[in-house]
Amino acid sequence: MMDNGKDSEVLSINKLSKHYSGYGSLFNFKKNIIKAVDNVSFKVYKGDIFSIVGETGCGKSTLSKLILGLTNRSSGEIFYKGNILNYNLKKLDLRKKIQIVFQDPYSSLNPKKKIYKIVSLPAIKNKTIKKKDALQYSMQMLKKVGLDENYVFKFPHELSGGQRQRISIARSLSVNPELLVLDEPVSALDVSVSAQILNLLLDLHEKNNLTYIFITHDLRLVRHMADKVCVMYGGKIMEISPVDKFFDGPLHPYSRVLLESILAYGPKNILQFADAGNININNINAGIEKNSRGCVYYNLCSRREVQCINNEPELKENGDVQVNCFFPYYSSV
Amino acid sequence: MSLIIDNLTVRLYTDFKKKEFFNVADSVSFSVQNGEIIAVVGESGSGKSFLGLSLMRLNPPYISEISSGSILISDSGGFEKVDIVKLKENQLSGVRGRLISMIFQDPNVSLNPVIKIGEQIVEAILAHKKMKKKDACDIAIHYLELMRIDGKARFNSYPHELSGGMRQRVMIAMAMVLEPAVLVADEPTTALDVKTSLQVLALIEKMRFEKNVSVLFITHDLSIARNISDKTLVFYAGQIMEYGLTEDIINNPAHPYSISLTKSVPGLSKDYAPRERLFVIPGSLSQGDFKSGKCRFYNRCFKKTKECLNEIPLLKLSSGRFARCVNII
Ligand SMILES: Nc1ncnc2c1ncn2[C@@H]1O[C@H](COP(=O)(O)OP(=O)(O)OP(=O)(O)O)[C@@H](O)[C@H]1O
Ligand SMILES: Nc1ncnc2c1ncn2[C@@H]1O[C@H](COP(=O)(O)OP(=O)(O)O)[C@@H](O)[C@H]1O
Ligand code: SF4
Ligand code: SF4
Ligand SMILES: [Mg+2]
Ligand SMILES: [Mg+2]
Repeated sequence: MMDNGKDSEVLSINKLSKHYSGYGSLFNFKKNIIKAVDNVSFKVYKGDIFSIVGETGCGKSTLSKLILGLTNRSSGEIFYKGNILNYNLKKLDLRKKIQIVFQDPYSSLNPKKKIYKIVSLPAIKNKTIKKKDALQYSMQMLKKVGLDENYVFKFPHELSGGQRQRISIARSLSVNPELLVLDEPVSALDVSVSAQILNLLLDLHEKNNLTYIFITHDLRLVRHMADKVCVMYGGKIMEISPVDKFFDGPLHPYSRVLLESILAYGPKNILQFADAGNININNINAGIEKNSRGCVYYNLCSRREVQCINNEPELKENGDVQVNCFFPYYSSV
Repeated sequence: MSLIIDNLTVRLYTDFKKKEFFNVADSVSFSVQNGEIIAVVGESGSGKSFLGLSLMRLNPPYISEISSGSILISDSGGFEKVDIVKLKENQLSGVRGRLISMIFQDPNVSLNPVIKIGEQIVEAILAHKKMKKKDACDIAIHYLELMRIDGKARFNSYPHELSGGMRQRVMIAMAMVLEPAVLVADEPTTALDVKTSLQVLALIEKMRFEKNVSVLFITHDLSIARNISDKTLVFYAGQIMEYGLTEDIINNPAHPYSISLTKSVPGLSKDYAPRERLFVIPGSLSQGDFKSGKCRFYNRCFKKTKECLNEIPLLKLSSGRFARCVNII
């Protein structure tokens, strides 16, 4: 890894929140507020592969949409290299510098356009290439992501899921971005293509000194790819830690549960969680999972104390780890 | 046996007028016993989804057709037996959802964006069962809760108000709600996080034990196949490449394609080094690979010889273990 410029801050997020108000429930038609992202702060440095993990609905994609300017924030600030993040400022040229690869390869590609048009569109828009070079350039990009060049003339619906995801990666790479937000880039891909994409992402990262925000729910990928891991639960950050430290033994109770869950991927090892509200088919009530007053993780936490019911912990530094818990584990298992 | 597939061949037309086609499923035969889970693993584009869709006769019309073979389905009591291939179009709706049901890879296919999710599940129930709407609502909520979705609070949500993983789980609830004899699950956990994913796997296990549901579990994740299935079927370019007990296939793959697949997963073993480049199978699967008269894996195989330039039959390695390769010692 390169040392020069390693310490320069690329992205700085300060007390960022996104609240949705939406549907009423079946029996109660009052509007609910969903804190999809709630008071989140972190920094990403140049050349980092900063991974964000957490279970479904914890706010990962909402966070990435905020960074991409695809949704408005409710409060808080985002800085890109010291400037307030503003996609409308031509001078900053952020549409080119920050790109995203979406989780869902189905809805993210325009079904009416041929592949080469899709792949080259951002590059043409941002004047990376000329329109007449679109075909040639797209073929080059497809090759980069391990796809047969002849796919340039096809439409998205003619491709399988994995092939479509490779197209969307090719499209994002087409403008040579500085920061790539990867929202579960391989979760819809099969092993072999996934291996190819992971290798590709690592190669591109090394060669071009790119910075990645790598969103995933798979800790096996965090260990494989990332320098830092940021654990989210219920819209909040639970822990930010260097990856090697994390795998030696994370400090937050929820992080431990996540780490144990990858061990459950052995043969026939389903349902081995240390959650207090153990994953048991018969007593699941998703509605009570998130505590609304004190610590968000209270209802499932195995280390909870009375103090955690009504008081909210804050993200605190603990050496080079930041942890959001009154009673964290001490380092190493 | 609740599902017996015999010599199933499905054509996919690349040019319908000129009658140009390839077999997207090529003489596929296997059977699933009551309560058995069989994983279908293979790369994207190998035809897994087509196989799954064909079992429901949901393979896209006009561009594809079942050209031969049979798909026998029976309920777990063995009272009802049908050959899906022989059913008339208007008989299919009475079978889909009730005898055989499917979790689709693409949640947008089966969720209507303008109908509240609770309503959608209730409609699915009422299409097959006579009951009060109120009772159907209760069942819908129950199944949403089994999927770790707050059924009451989310009953009136529209699909776009849910995260990707939540949408996937709504769809799973919908496929499970009629307790079918055979469930085809096409990458049901691909969009889910570990915790929810294990939840879904556990629910499928529960359905298998309690309702004797037979499951065809399509996945590209070998560790999930290992976790959930009794047997594994390795699929490539429309053909079964290897078939046997899951443990044997994962721990001791025989076919070069199965070997390549197992080597491309990032491990968590002690000597594993992060960022070490993973094994990548050279080249990519193209539609040309479906047609050839040689081994379908020939272009990408590390073990190929000139003997591989013929059609390769599925060979028996040992009892219950088959592989389609001439170079297995
Ligand atoms: N447009 C919207 N309107 C209302 N609520 C929304 C909207 N988008 C997201 N939400 C809610 O915000 C929360 C976080 O959603 P988000 O998509 O960020 O989750 P995620 O962590 O990316 O999950 P997954 O792993 O399933 O992709 C969820 O409760 C979701 O239902
Ligand atoms: N709707 C379609 N029209 C034409 N070809 C298709 C369609 N869907 C898939 N294909 C082609 O059929 C083959 C098998 O695809 P699919 O069954 O989706 O594979 P898998 O599920 O294993 O990823 C691929 O070559 C793919 O490009
Ligand atoms: S603050 Fe309390 S409830 Fe929250 S994670 Fe820590 S110990 Fe558990
Ligand atoms: S038959 Fe030949 S080409 Fe095919 S998998 Fe075996 S060794 Fe490889
Ligand atoms: Mg998401
Ligand atoms: Mg598929």
